[in-house]
Amino acid sequence: MEQLLVPMICTVEKIIQETPDVRTYRLKFRDESLAEKFDWFPGQFVEFSLLGSGECTFCIASSATRKGTFDCSIKRAGIVTADIHRDLDEGDVVGIRGPYGNWFPLEDLKGKNLLFVGGGIGLAPLRSLIQYAIDNRNDYADFTILYGARTSADLCYKEEIDEWKNNKSLKVILTIDKPEDTWKENVGVVPKILEEVVNPIVENTKVITCGPPIMIKYTLMSLDKLGFDPKDVVTTLEMKMQCGLGKCGRCNIGSTYVCKDGPVFTYEDLSKLPDEF
Amino acid sequence: MNLTTYSTDPAGLQAFYEAIISAHDTYAPVEKFGKFDFTRVDSLSTCNTDSPIPKTMSVKPLFFPKSAKVMKYKATSEGTELTDTEEDPLAGKRVVLGVRHCDARSLQVLDAVYKWDYVDTDYGKRRENTILISTRCNEASTHCFCTSLDYDVEQLDAFDVAVINGLDEKVYLQARTEKGETFLKENATGLAVANGSAQEEMKKQFEKFASSFRLKMDYTEINEKMQGQFDSPEFEDVSSNCVSCNTCAFVCPTCHCFKISDEKLRDEGVRYKSYDSCNNVYFTLMAGGHNPRPVKYRRWRQRAMHKFVYYKERFGVNLCIGCGKCTTSCPVNISIFEVVNKVAK
Amino acid sequence: MNYTKQIQDIAGRLFSEEKIDVFIGYRNTGFDENQVPVLINQYKDVDQLLFTDKSVFNLANYLKYEHTRNKRVGLVVKGCDSRALNLMLTENQVKREKLFIVGIACEGVVDETGGKAQNCVECVMPDAVVFDEMLGTPSGKRDYQENSDIRALDGKSLTGRQEYFEEVFENCIRCNACRHSCPLCYCSNCCIDQETATLYHGANTTSSAFHALMTWSLHLAGRCVDCRNCEKACPSHLPLHLLHKQNEKVIYENFQEHLAGMIQDDRGAFYKYSLSDPDDFIM
Repeated sequence: MEQLLVPMICTVEKIIQETPDVRTYRLKFRDESLAEKFDWFPGQFVEFSLLGSGECTFCIASSATRKGTFDCSIKRAGIVTADIHRDLDEGDVVGIRGPYGNWFPLEDLKGKNLLFVGGGIGLAPLRSLIQYAIDNRNDYADFTILYGARTSADLCYKEEIDEWKNNKSLKVILTIDKPEDTWKENVGVVPKILEEVVNPIVENTKVITCGPPIMIKYTLMSLDKLGFDPKDVVTTLEMKMQCGLGKCGRCNIGSTYVCKDGPVFTYEDLSKLPDEF
Repeated sequence: MNLTTYSTDPAGLQAFYEAIISAHDTYAPVEKFGKFDFTRVDSLSTCNTDSPIPKTMSVKPLFFPKSAKVMKYKATSEGTELTDTEEDPLAGKRVVLGVRHCDARSLQVLDAVYKWDYVDTDYGKRRENTILISTRCNEASTHCFCTSLDYDVEQLDAFDVAVINGLDEKVYLQARTEKGETFLKENATGLAVANGSAQEEMKKQFEKFASSFRLKMDYTEINEKMQGQFDSPEFEDVSSNCVSCNTCAFVCPTCHCFKISDEKLRDEGVRYKSYDSCNNVYFTLMAGGHNPRPVKYRRWRQRAMHKFVYYKERFGVNLCIGCGKCTTSCPVNISIFEVVNKVAK
Repeated sequence: MNYTKQIQDIAGRLFSEEKIDVFIGYRNTGFDENQVPVLINQYKDVDQLLFTDKSVFNLANYLKYEHTRNKRVGLVVKGCDSRALNLMLTENQVKREKLFIVGIACEGVVDETGGKAQNCVECVMPDAVVFDEMLGTPSGKRDYQENSDIRALDGKSLTGRQEYFEEVFENCIRCNACRHSCPLCYCSNCCIDQETATLYHGANTTSSAFHALMTWSLHLAGRCVDCRNCEKACPSHLPLHLLHKQNEKVIYENFQEHLAGMIQDDRGAFYKYSLSDPDDFIM
């Protein structure tokens, strides 16, 4: 017996096909007493297992302010995720362990302008915080979401984005890499749109960003150019993990365990770590 | 609490061992295919409590087995059920004979990570229910350097009972923990409490033992120097003849990395927690293909730095206890002692 | 058997004539009488090199790593090593023109106890079969003899054998040292490596060890050259040669006395089909 690693059973309530290779699984605890105990903050992750196939790490893509169910958005990328896409149907069960890891610095964000910069599936962890912030809207000043993907088909959460657009207290800017016939919004990579279209005010603003490594790299350069302090840029890191408990020893960068000390880091934190991620 | 020392002779020690084996669940080194594993024994004749250092595997598997069942599941038309697997075979009360200093020390080192934050209760239970009785380390083996790594032979409280050779064929049994004290009180019946000269004799034995080490280093210096060596070109050089297997990590008493994997047969399956190693190219490979440690020297760097820098930073102790098992088991005889000394130059 | 001086001279010459980028040989561990394989990149390090009857490890194994890929390599090979190298050449793993091979007319290496190793006693080809320069006096091919352990095992009952092998597999810790030490296990995505293995799912259980080792030994059937790198690498000291020697025996008896890697471009027993193959095992 390895008590720490035994998962809880959840039922798949709904599957939403977000893009050709991303699906959102809405999960509900089979045992309701567990559901009440399961509380999380935006940015935390769970170990999601398809029984018989294996465990994978996914961030929780929804906010605990909307209780009852929680979402995991899963991109088909490896062996287990391919099995999940192929085998997991509504009504099936999965194993869940968690929530693990740290979360976005909610206290530090209070009273600040929030600028979300997301790319592709990288919107998933941000969505949790976006929902949380919308539900506590009065705690924050300006609220901007910049979200990009390679093509319009690769944009996740399309319905929810429409809701965000209709919400007068949010500003939503979408972009895709290359022009498409029916596309009426911005065209260009995220960092370019960030500089040219969003052109955010630096003062009193916190940036929360997540996306593919290459986007992060250039976004950080743009933010630097715009004059953001590395302290004010928050991101969430992806590393291979298995236990989520700081035991299995694979997610460390130097003496920092991403599963325990992360996955949320400020850009300032990251610059102090050895270059191995 | 007063810790007692008992005195006996080799025959008395054998009788003590025999009494333990007949009264308790006992584990001791048993020879299999020319190497010694800690295995459950029923009689003293099947084991060797003084098994040779280079051929003895560590006690790690008694606390962290090569493969442990996490859970079983079964899917039926009524739904999927998780079932607890059978009781933990390692959780019962037991005694381990023939434990080396390094092995016992390694468990103290491992405690740090297992008790950190999320407490591993299974590991804790295995630890708590185990009485460790030492072997008599008289002489260092070729690759031993445990005395260089922050531990005190005389005071080592990692095992519950220390067995030490004295002069004139004398053998001392010394309680090192409260658990050991109680255990000896109950089990060392018939053994005399040692007199005043025991301390002196044991000290001589320790000095003789300490002087038999050929490998010596100053670990504080190594820790300090390695801290700045992340970008050292030496890593590429020292790892060039590594064959990238996982042997060093699997035999290492302090390596604790594991993986979780499922075995499935139709609608039933078992989930296992098994050894894994940072030398494995798949260890950090993510779905989608990104790997932070894609080349051999980076994996070796992780191994060496984890042992002598990262773990120390995090938990205050080195993740190496100088047992030399990795070196003796390495297919190509790579010595961790040599590697860290080269890198820390 | 000591070719230290000759090998140092050859390696020195090759470096000074800029004919190689790396030389693979042996050096002392510095701690005991054992030797460590060493990859030398420059002239000034050649005095580390040595060769004695303790030079056990099959160096052809290093030709599969990134350190030597696409480089001009000099290396030392004994009889068995050279047969493995021959197979690597045949299977297009290395290019002959990139290699400078120092062949040894081997007199046998020693095992842990200091005596002549079993595979050396039973060796069929002590001399290097592929080389650019030969050290020592070749003694020629010897008669094939059946492994004494296999003979002993054949004497056991089926259940006796089963019990024996169950114990073997139970003691396997799945470190994969055997597969990583084998020069002929050059697949970068090995079918028994755990993360990629859909068949074995990675747990270090007895059944996974059984499947992995059996699959592995069958992949080496007709290719194994009996260098025993795998067995010497095994931290659990498992008698892995039994798997290979049994395969070797069956192949020797059924496939026209075939022995792996003896001649270049010989594609091995399982690569070719001949009308004269007995085929009596096919139902």
